[in-house]
Amino acid sequence: MLFLQYLTAGIVTGCFLILATIGFSLTRQVEGFLNIAHAELLGIGAFTTWWLNASQGWHILIAGPAAVIFTALVGLVIARTIYDPIRRRGPAVLLITSTGVAFVIGGVIDAMVGTGIRTLDIGLATTYKPFGIRVTDYQIIVVALAAAVSVSLALFLNRTRIGLAIRARAVNPELAASRGIDVRTTSRVTWLLSSGLAGVAGVMLAVIATLTTDLPFHQILQILAVAILAGLGSLYTVIASGLIIGIAMDVSVYWIPAGYRPLVAFSIVIIVLLFRSEGLAGTKAA
Amino acid sequence: MNWPQLLITVATIGSIFGVVTLALNLQYARGGMINFGIVAYFAVGAYTYAIFTQPSPKGLDQYAFGLDWPWWAGVLAAGTAALAFAALTGWPTLRLRGEYLALTTFAFAEVFHSFLLNERRIGNGTVGLSNVERPFGDWGPIEEKYVFAAVAALLLLATLLAFRQLLASPYGRALDAIRDDEVAAESSGKPAANMRRQVFLISAVPVGLAGAVYAMFTTLAQPSLFTAEVTFIVWIALVLGGERSVYGAMLGAFGLVFFEEVVRAWPFETVRSAQIAASVEHIFTGLLFIAVLRFQPFDRIQRRMKART
Repeated sequence: MLFLQYLTAGIVTGCFLILATIGFSLTRQVEGFLNIAHAELLGIGAFTTWWLNASQGWHILIAGPAAVIFTALVGLVIARTIYDPIRRRGPAVLLITSTGVAFVIGGVIDAMVGTGIRTLDIGLATTYKPFGIRVTDYQIIVVALAAAVSVSLALFLNRTRIGLAIRARAVNPELAASRGIDVRTTSRVTWLLSSGLAGVAGVMLAVIATLTTDLPFHQILQILAVAILAGLGSLYTVIASGLIIGIAMDVSVYWIPAGYRPLVAFSIVIIVLLFRSEGLAGTKAA
Repeated sequence: MNWPQLLITVATIGSIFGVVTLALNLQYARGGMINFGIVAYFAVGAYTYAIFTQPSPKGLDQYAFGLDWPWWAGVLAAGTAALAFAALTGWPTLRLRGEYLALTTFAFAEVFHSFLLNERRIGNGTVGLSNVERPFGDWGPIEEKYVFAAVAALLLLATLLAFRQLLASPYGRALDAIRDDEVAAESSGKPAANMRRQVFLISAVPVGLAGAVYAMFTTLAQPSLFTAEVTFIVWIALVLGGERSVYGAMLGAFGLVFFEEVVRAWPFETVRSAQIAASVEHIFTGLLFIAVLRFQPFDRIQRRMKART
C-alpha cells in the first residue's frame, strides 16, 4: 500500500517534470542549445504568481495565466537581446551564456523577493482517498495540466502551419529556410511557447511546492536529467522519461533515504548514456 | 575594510581557483572538452586530503576512516584520488562530445555531491570534516597566512610551468592539431580519443592538489563548499580571461575572487542590505559573463597585439 502511495507521488512528480522539461526540450531542438536559464524562467513564473496572488490579491485563476504570459514575454526578450546576437558562435557558447543569464535572473529574484518561504493565498489541498491512496486536488491538477499541455502541444506541432514550420526548422534549418519558412517568426513563436511552458511549470511549482528563491535552480538538475534521458527526440520521449525519472525518484524512497533522490535520477541517466549515448530517442545529435 | 588581509585572501584563494581554471583551460581550449563538473575533482582532492590526515573517528563523528597520516601523504593521495576519479568518470563520459559531455560531467558532479551529502561514513554528511590539518604554521617571523599564500602561488606556478612544458612539446602540437581538425590529425596517425582521455586525466591532478590546499586553508571539507556554483565560478573566470589564453584564465580567476571577497568583506548595516548585495553580486557576475562572451574584448586585444608583432 505504501508502495502504491509512493508510486502515485512519483507519477505527480513525473508530470511536473514533463511540464518543466517540454519547454527546455523545445528550445534544444529548435534553437539548438541547452538553455540553463530555463529553470530560472520557472522561478519568474512562480514568483510572479506569488506576487500577484499574495500581495496584490488577485485570484489564482487570474494570477496564474498572467504570470504565464509575463514569463513568455520575458523569455522572448531575453532570447532576442542576448541569445540571438551570439547564435553563430555555436551551442557551447550559448550554453555558457545561458548560465550567466540564470545567474542574473536568480539574482534579480533574490533581491526582489528575499529569503524565507513564500506561500500563495489559496485554500489548503483537499485530500481524496480512492482505493486507500491519498491524492490531493492540487496533485490531480498537475497531472491533468501535464496531459492537457502535452496533447495541445502535439496538436499544435502536428496540425497547424506554424507548428509544422517549427518542426521543419528543428529537423533541418537550412532546408527549411530555403523552402521559404519564415525563420524569424518560427523562432519567436518557439521562444514564446517554451518560455510560456516554463511559466506554466512555475505556476504549478508555486502551487504544490514550498516556495523559496533557491528552488528554481534546483529544478534544473532534474530538468537536465529528464532531457538527457529523452535525448534529441520527440515530445513523446520527454513524456516517457519524465515519468520514468519521477517514478524512479519517488519509489526509491521506499528503500533508500529521500536525500538520494537526485542520485537516483542521475544514476539512471548515466546508465542509459553508457548503453545509448544518444538517449532514449535514438537519434544522433547533428 | 582590512585591505592587507583581503589582498592576502585574494592571493591565496585566487591561486587555488587559478589552478582549477588552468586545468579547465587545458581541457576546453586544447582538448575541446566541456567539463561542467570540475567541482567534483576539486572536492575529491579536498576530501581525500581530509580523510588521510584526519585522526580516527571518535565521539559524535560518523565517518568511518581517519588514517592520521602526515600531510604530504594526504597531498599525494589527493592528487592520486583526483586522477583515479577522472579515470573512472572519463571512461564512460568521454565517448560523448560537446554539450552532451557537459551534461554528463555535470550529472557526475551532482551525483558525487549528493553522495557526500547523504553518506555519513565518508565525511560526516552535511556536517563535513572540520579541523583539517594545516601543516605549515608560522615559519619563524613569517605568519601562517603568508606561508599559505606562498604555497598556493607555488602550486599555481608549478601547474602553469608543467602545462606550458607539455603544450610546447610535440605532444602539445598534436593536441592543437586534433582540436583544429580531428579528421586530419587522425589520418596522420594521432590517436585523438586516446589523447583527449590523457588530457582529461593529466588536468585532474592539479585540481585534486588545489582541493587539498583549499581544505587546508579553510580547515573544512564540507559538501556546501563544493556545489555546482564552484564549477560556474571557474567557468566564468575562464571565459572572463579569454578562453584561449593561459594568462587571461589566471587573471580572470584573480579578478573574480577579488570581486567576491570585496563584496563579502564589505561592512553592511543590515541583514537585508547584505542580502541584496549578495544578489547584486550574482547579477553582476552574470552580466559580466554575458558581456564578455558577446564582445570578447580579450580575444580582440590579443589579436591586436599579435598583429603588431
